[in-house]
Amino acid sequence: MKNQAPFTVLAVAVLALAGVLGTASFVLGFGFGDSPCILCWAQRLGMALVALIGIFILRYGPKPRYVGLGILLGAYGLYMAVRHSGLHLARDVGQGFSVELLGAHTYIWSAFIYWIGVVVMGVLLLLFGEGPLEGGTREPGKLGRAAMAIFLVTIAGNVVQAFVTAGPPPYVGGGDPVRFSFNPSHWAWTFEEYEGPGPGWRGRWAIDKPRLAGLPSDPQQGPLAALPGLAIRRRMPIGVALRGEVSALAAAPDGERFLLTTDAHAVGIVDPTFTRLERSTVVDPAYSVDLGRGFVGAAWLDAQTVMAIAENKSFVLLQTDDHADAASNFRYFLVPTTQWRELQLGRFSTVRARMMYVRSLAYDAGSDSLLTVAVPNRQTPKLVVSRFERGDLTLSEEFEPGLAPGAGLKLATPGRSLGEYYVSGAAVADGRLYALSAAYDTLLVIDLAARQVVGAYAIPGLEQPRGLALRDGEMFVAEAGGRLAVVERPALAPR
Amino acid sequence: MEFLNFLLIFVAGYLVWRKPDKEKLAFRLLLVSLALLVYGFFVGSRTSILPGVNF
Repeated sequence: MKNQAPFTVLAVAVLALAGVLGTASFVLGFGFGDSPCILCWAQRLGMALVALIGIFILRYGPKPRYVGLGILLGAYGLYMAVRHSGLHLARDVGQGFSVELLGAHTYIWSAFIYWIGVVVMGVLLLLFGEGPLEGGTREPGKLGRAAMAIFLVTIAGNVVQAFVTAGPPPYVGGGDPVRFSFNPSHWAWTFEEYEGPGPGWRGRWAIDKPRLAGLPSDPQQGPLAALPGLAIRRRMPIGVALRGEVSALAAAPDGERFLLTTDAHAVGIVDPTFTRLERSTVVDPAYSVDLGRGFVGAAWLDAQTVMAIAENKSFVLLQTDDHADAASNFRYFLVPTTQWRELQLGRFSTVRARMMYVRSLAYDAGSDSLLTVAVPNRQTPKLVVSRFERGDLTLSEEFEPGLAPGAGLKLATPGRSLGEYYVSGAAVADGRLYALSAAYDTLLVIDLAARQVVGAYAIPGLEQPRGLALRDGEMFVAEAGGRLAVVERPALAPR
Repeated sequence: MEFLNFLLIFVAGYLVWRKPDKEKLAFRLLLVSLALLVYGFFVGSRTSILPGVNF
């Protein structure tokens, strides 16, 4: 092949990769004590193989199998870079794994390097011009030989570093390696990466979606022993038609209206008899915040402003407005409406409840804030209360409530926990959070200032409760099948 | 395992440089190295094949 330009570019590319591999080993490793983890090794090995394929092409020409392998390795490297970086992308600013270079950590840089590698491969193919790719042993020239020699020196450095850090087979690199040392007494070869759970697609992010069906309902089997009971005074149907099944409710500040939400993203305002629909609409759940599989919580912030939340803590803030413009509302609502305005779509971010879904929402007028209670899952079997300031809709407090001393509450057995409750309805009154659990049909009363459960009550007979509203001396509980249970409200001493 | 893989890469690179007539052997070493790379990927990533960020 007479066209030498691609080989010159390729030799420079191999030298550049060798520079990266040499810097990683000689400078960061031997010089600064950096030790790659198993995923760092996987990325570095991929780069070494890309450079090796470059050497193959320098020597044997651009045979399709070499070009193909180079592209495959480029794709592998980009994927690995995202796979590795994904472990750290969601951390706070500046946080990461091991050393930072020029404002970014090494796994981030690998994505850039692989991307450059793929770009270079494309450029090379363009430079090779028309006609089939063909091979044939060739003299690589001075630059090519220099690339080969320097490449081998850097690989030799990595051989040494890999032996010291990862060990001989069958050892593999560790997930959390110790700093590099030539002293054998500091070497820490490990099999830890062979251990742990089996194959999976989403790892720790595979959290089961909440579901109320199948939860245990008998309060006497719950984690709290010998609870007093609350009676269901009456049941009544929800006599208004909304798209989907009612999934949550909240009482207006004056108690004269109720907000209903459904599992089909409908919202409606009804009178206290639940027979007259004042207004309703259906929120567009996909543009542009994903509102999940329907609303699971409702809150009334003031006389005109309401919020509905989905299980993924994404929410919509709505305002009643009798003069809204239907055309302008097209982008917000699936059903044309002149009675609502969308104020904001957003997402609550949490810390303790980050890997948990929610099934409830409440508004605390006393602190002008919103509260969610996360539902437990297999990975995080906890009860977590999260508070968000109304002003900026940002997390301001999070806690796992304990049992108040002197409240007469105790766990049925030492191994039980409040994390077994599955709160699917919440409301706030007098600085207390009323959290209704669909598991064990139990109402927890949590003092928000003390962060303690000050009361717990069994409400036997509820059917998959979803949504809780307080009005006068009664509690309104939405149940499966579009019914309401009206339950006596516990008598609590004033705070 | 990474040590072995880098060793294979070193030998393959050396063959290409100093003994170009050993192309087949060098290519076989390259393929073994690729297989080890895939094995290492599986060991290190099997618990979450997809990148581990919010889905």
